[in-house]
Amino acid sequence: MLVARGIATAVAPEGGLTDVQAELLGAIASALTGVAVDYRSLELLEPLGPEELADVLAARDAGYRHRIVHHMVLGELVLRPIPVVVAHRVATYAHALGVTDDFVRVARRYAQGAYGLAWMDLQRSGFVEHVRDADGDQPGASVPSKLDPFEPAQVDPELEARWTAFAELAPDTLGRRVWEMYDSRGFGLPGSPGGAPAYLAQHDFVHVLADYGTNLKGELEVFAFIGRADPDPKGFAWLATLIGLFETGYISSTGFFDRDVRERSIRAPGMHQRIADAIRRGKVVCDAYGVDLFDVDYSEFADRAVGEVRELLQMPAKSAGAIDSGSAGVFDPAGMSEKQRRFAAQRRGDDT
Amino acid sequence: MNRNFCQTITFRCADPAPIIAMSEEWDRNQATSDIMGYMGSRVLADRERLGYYVIIAEFGVVDPNVSAADEAARNNARPETQAFADRLREVIDGEPEWHHFDELYRTDR
Repeated sequence: MLVARGIATAVAPEGGLTDVQAELLGAIASALTGVAVDYRSLELLEPLGPEELADVLAARDAGYRHRIVHHMVLGELVLRPIPVVVAHRVATYAHALGVTDDFVRVARRYAQGAYGLAWMDLQRSGFVEHVRDADGDQPGASVPSKLDPFEPAQVDPELEARWTAFAELAPDTLGRRVWEMYDSRGFGLPGSPGGAPAYLAQHDFVHVLADYGTNLKGELEVFAFIGRADPDPKGFAWLATLIGLFETGYISSTGFFDRDVRERSIRAPGMHQRIADAIRRGKVVCDAYGVDLFDVDYSEFADRAVGEVRELLQMPAKSAGAIDSGSAGVFDPAGMSEKQRRFAAQRRGDDT
Repeated sequence: MNRNFCQTITFRCADPAPIIAMSEEWDRNQATSDIMGYMGSRVLADRERLGYYVIIAEFGVVDPNVSAADEAARNNARPETQAFADRLREVIDGEPEWHHFDELYRTDR
């Protein structure tokens, strides 16, 4: 509860926590600790300053303190605009906790209005350096290697053929289900003209394994999950990017995803529960499996049953709360965008 | 209210390409450096006076206790800024003109 008080003090704008902040941070704290945390009631308590929070967390390791700072950053990123005073305050807390974090700086750039520099920073610090660090650069490796995950896709017949071959696998295997996901929505296979970049396509295996839809809300869930499953805190870049694209509009385009804030997805009913549950599930996979899910060679698991691969990753099921809040499965029409639903209906031969 | 600040650098040159490359390099370096007031810049070509250009560098508040104008002054004192100015002088004709403005209004805030 003390930690939550510190987070609330750090991210509260002048008028107090916004509804989105209170709901999202409360849901995350509850999902991760199993204890109900009401951020609204925390505001009635005395603020907890940076040094006091540092004392509270003194016995915790650097990784834990880093994740706490990310919760603060998340609390900032859902604000538009981010008040300079909030961004500066969060930086003060990070400093007191002994955490140097690129996303604190990105949030400060948003607060300043330097959106171009912020995106350059997020790309370099969050993705390029992270992918470069993780890039084994081994000859013959099946995991796509890219310094920039948003680099435009290249036509690659060999890669397309590997993905096309998934169609021949047995029903309910990972490869077959991923192929069905692409086929049912009319997505271009990696390697084909207009197909997804190979590195980014890795996350589509996670859509199937974690059972998240492919509309904007499903993308937020899947990247919240992937980001937290990454043992490197830089995995937070995924959620930070998706929020910038689909909630606040701080990012106009990544080349593959484009800004879409028509729905303001994070503040949609139930999304705080869904995001929180995705983070909880990601944490479990991080603790048990400990590998960036973008670095997994899914071709090795393509002919295995989806359930078997989930067990291998020790992936927990969605919570009842997330499902009750509308978390749709990857093959559930509710998990598709309107355009995807129309394509799927046409594919089935429906009149709709 | 956080008031932004702009610095304009007006100059004449035969080829703006090196200036654009320098500006891109500057932004790349700023993007992953410690945050300061610099927000970004634009390089504009004068349509009426061929060969005349202006760089508009924008500064904003990152610390509630430091104004954007003071952030710009701190930026001017940095060795890398001085180095940029030196390189600029090497590729332009004559001396650049510097002007400083407080922002009174903008559409997109």
